[in-house]
Amino acid sequence: MTTKELKYGSFIIIVILLAYIIPYTLLTNVAAWYGSFLFWSLLALVIIVINYFLTRDWGE
Amino acid sequence: MSTQIVWWIIAIYVIIALVIAYLSRSGKQTNMASYFLGDRKLNGFVSALSYSATTYSAFMLVGLAGLAYNGGVGALGFEIIYFMGVSLVAFFGPRFWLVGKKYGYVTPSEMLGDRYNNKLVASVVAISSCLFLIPYSAVQLAGVGYLLQGVTNDAIPFTTGVIIATVLAIVFSYIAGMRSVAWTDSLQSLIMLITSTLVVIFIINGLGGLGEFFGSLETNQPKSLTVPGTGFFSFTTFLGLTIPWFFFSISNPQVSQRLFMPASLKSLRQMLMGFLVFGFIYTIVSVVWGFSASIMFPDLANADLATPKLLSSDLVPPVLGAIVMVGIMAAAVSTIDSILLTLSSLFARDVYGNIKKESNEQKQLIVGKIVIPVIAILAYLFAQLQLDLIAVLSVSASAGLIVAVPAIIGAFFWKRGTALGVLISVIVSGIMVIFLEFTQTKPLGLASGIWGILVSTLLFITVSLLTKAPEKKAEEFLTYIKTEMATLKKKKSTKLK
Repeated sequence: MTTKELKYGSFIIIVILLAYIIPYTLLTNVAAWYGSFLFWSLLALVIIVINYFLTRDWGE
Repeated sequence: MSTQIVWWIIAIYVIIALVIAYLSRSGKQTNMASYFLGDRKLNGFVSALSYSATTYSAFMLVGLAGLAYNGGVGALGFEIIYFMGVSLVAFFGPRFWLVGKKYGYVTPSEMLGDRYNNKLVASVVAISSCLFLIPYSAVQLAGVGYLLQGVTNDAIPFTTGVIIATVLAIVFSYIAGMRSVAWTDSLQSLIMLITSTLVVIFIINGLGGLGEFFGSLETNQPKSLTVPGTGFFSFTTFLGLTIPWFFFSISNPQVSQRLFMPASLKSLRQMLMGFLVFGFIYTIVSVVWGFSASIMFPDLANADLATPKLLSSDLVPPVLGAIVMVGIMAAAVSTIDSILLTLSSLFARDVYGNIKKESNEQKQLIVGKIVIPVIAILAYLFAQLQLDLIAVLSVSASAGLIVAVPAIIGAFFWKRGTALGVLISVIVSGIMVIFLEFTQTKPLGLASGIWGILVSTLLFITVSLLTKAPEKKAEEFLTYIKTEMATLKKKKSTKLK
């Protein structure tokens, strides 16, 4: 693994852990669109951004 | 929905898809890589759309929407965790691509066989893929059957839908192998994304706008916006569903084989990023879709009927409803044809190719082409069993494929992995998953996929440590990847200077 992969890989692991933990703890009683629905959607966008930066070096 | 409109749209779809499949032919396809990998020359755009079409099957708008209908927002969490798992492509993609090109691999199992220096590894992994992916294809076929039956109020019977999908899958894979599959996939996924988004916009408008939409959920079904919510998505169920799907992008050969196909790393990157954008939109659309059905038809006996009901409702213009309906059928076909092609290449390359010593590329190609309809018919027979909840069966296929994950990770990141480690981990944990699924047992409340990955990891590591690793091959394979991955970065920095 390259250092870059390790760095972004750790970010991804943190995002995944948040996706498992937060909706089942902090958001269990937030029955609104800004609860788990928004949270998971935002995390998905974060993943897109991480992948964008992680793969920036891939050339022809 | 009028049966006549449905038939017309099916006819138009088939004609357009056949023309595209026919036009996609290019050059003579006389070897395995040209037929099954599109000559390793797919561009980023087609790769991205086709990857999306292969991954997102009829499951999304039928099964996932059904899960959202039954279990609420947990369905979104489930699909988003899968989506996050596709980040594995950012790590494994360039590695698959590099070694695929260097050693000429056609299938992921062939790669494992070569890396662990044992042909039996390739054969066993290939056979286990077939064992689990044929039921998975059957699930897709059954999805088409239910759907056509549902929207036309039984005017198109279950069996007719299943037969149409089977025949189309065979034809699309036959015309030009991966090229025709990739191009028809691209057509299908584009139409699907656009039309399903339109349907959701129509429905939300019909229900009084986004505010009203969520307002109605918050007042009438507040539990659908939380987990565990109604109780459907308990944490252990959530884990059991998500873990196998998290590894989907490397455990399922019909998608991991795609990592060999892009023309360059740049195309591979376009494939990944294109898929992520596509997947994000499609996931939200499918979940909102299920929610809409739960607002409009809260008391359906079977959640799989949510989509047919929605498409036949007054809020969706009939022609658009019919297009999406046929689009869902096409989504199933685009998943099945890719699986057919992959499984035939696995069989020809890793089973036939390893048993018959005198086999060559041409012979393997002939065998591969013969196997395509055979596998399709097996899937058809399985679909006729009409098993109940589509999502559950589909997930058990992923649970079965997960047992090869430790061997795949080990191939790239662990020198000590051995062939016996792979064989024992795949065979023993594969049988265990089948047993758990068959008897519907969940030891400690955990689903078969979780046990699959735990037991196979444990077996792979223990047996590998007790046996001798193919040091020379491992060294050569891993050094090559390391050097190439490092130059990848260097090339970039010299360019910047």
